[in-house]
Amino acid sequence: MASLTLPNHYLPTLLRPHSATNPSSQNLPLPSTPPNSHFFGLKLSHSAVSSIPSSSSLKPSIFAKVSKGSKPPNFTLKDQNGKNVSLANFKGKPIVVYFYPADETPGCTKQACAFRDSYEKFKKAGAVVVGISGDDPSSHKAFASKYKLPFTLLSDEGNKVRKEWGVPGDFFGSLPGRETYVIDKNGVVQLVYNNQFQPEKHIDETLKILQSL
Amino acid sequence: MYSLTQHKYTPIFHYQVCKIRPLLHPSRVYCSITTTTTTTTIISKPRTNDKSLVIEPRLIPEPLTVVTTGNHRPMINDQSLQSTWSHRAWVAAGCTTLLISLGESIKGAMDLNIWIEPILASWVGYILADLGSGVYHWAIDNYGDDSTPIVGAQIEAFQGHHKWPWTITRRQFANNLHALARAVTFTVLPIALVCHDPIVQGFVGVFSGCIMFSQQFHAWAHGTKSRLPPLVVALQEAGMLVSRLQHAAHHRPPYNNNYCIVSGVWNEFLDKHKVFEAMEMVLYFKTGVRPRSWSEPASEWIEEIETPSQIQAQ
Repeated sequence: MASLTLPNHYLPTLLRPHSATNPSSQNLPLPSTPPNSHFFGLKLSHSAVSSIPSSSSLKPSIFAKVSKGSKPPNFTLKDQNGKNVSLANFKGKPIVVYFYPADETPGCTKQACAFRDSYEKFKKAGAVVVGISGDDPSSHKAFASKYKLPFTLLSDEGNKVRKEWGVPGDFFGSLPGRETYVIDKNGVVQLVYNNQFQPEKHIDETLKILQSL
Repeated sequence: MYSLTQHKYTPIFHYQVCKIRPLLHPSRVYCSITTTTTTTTIISKPRTNDKSLVIEPRLIPEPLTVVTTGNHRPMINDQSLQSTWSHRAWVAAGCTTLLISLGESIKGAMDLNIWIEPILASWVGYILADLGSGVYHWAIDNYGDDSTPIVGAQIEAFQGHHKWPWTITRRQFANNLHALARAVTFTVLPIALVCHDPIVQGFVGVFSGCIMFSQQFHAWAHGTKSRLPPLVVALQEAGMLVSRLQHAAHHRPPYNNNYCIVSGVWNEFLDKHKVFEAMEMVLYFKTGVRPRSWSEPASEWIEEIETPSQIQAQ
């Protein structure tokens, strides 16, 4: 399968993900199947070719951007109840980790509600859904209770995990990216889906892949 | 059986001549009305079964509140909707500025014998004016309040417009346009006097002209087909002026689309590609400020629905 990482020559300059603070989010200028519109819905798949490390990178730990086929690094973050939750807790079952910009913003609300509304389908597939943003646990608690979200929201304060996983931002990093990872029961990433302005599509794409696992 | 809309106001209601004329032929109307501070509309059935309309104003004292011009419901013949000489002066200044700019453009085009470039520049001005109107409208609708420096009064006016959209159709011409005419005079007159390039003047003249008259196009977009001049309706249907349908969509919750009010040509693109949502998100992450359209509309924003009989009964 062709490897592609948001090819520069295809996207308008303005819409390229930033790489200022994250040298590991490299762009390989390879041809891609054109998406319907700009940066709405880009499936990132990475096969044998891995990211080329930047010569300016000083932190080897963020070299390995999480991509399809790789095993993501573990993390331990606080959930909406202040409890520590680790990725390792979910070993043995598929997990959907979705990074979103912030609680109580229109796109994120649509996305959370869409995950909530399809939650039975995720449960049926035996999958766990986890949302991660930079908001603190109290913000997550209010957000989850307002919209009756049945899944875990984790606080990635300082956006450490976001940077570790290499989640690309939008508009030169002005906006935290909206990216979803589907990790199978063996802990291997099977899908990386990025779409800032069509949040409901994340649910469709992840369900599709879960059904095939 | 009639449905009767009642207003809570004191029954002192003197008027001499109160005639509604189409917006293009403004006439001065003198009315003096005294009202209480707040009004709400109630639809109720008359108590008697006969066909005579019985208006029973009820005096229900409201808690005393400080009311500014923007917060009280404007009556049809409200003084605040009429043009003053100051308004007319600003509109005249604005139009003069435009004429100078366009005159420079035509004169320059004749001298240099170039026509395509100034005409193209004028067209670009027309197209970009629509975009500019949308961005400005989005900013005013979503950020700031009446205490914001320079544009505070405008923000309040826009809020009032969302609550009583029909008022704009009752506003006299110079009253409606004077603020934009003033802005155009200050920004464009220096350019018009200093720059003699016909292409630049073509762009500037048409751009600022469209911006200045955007309030008129906006008022027409709130009009009804039967009351608008046929030429205006034709231009709206041709997509050269913002259509009534498109603009009506802006006045429905969540009030976050169809911001452009010159031709509306940019609305579909901007809404489809969530351009304003993107800008709102970036601004939120940079400044922490949430736009108004993200929250449930506050009561000051929600349109006060009226029945036609209510307007007639005034």
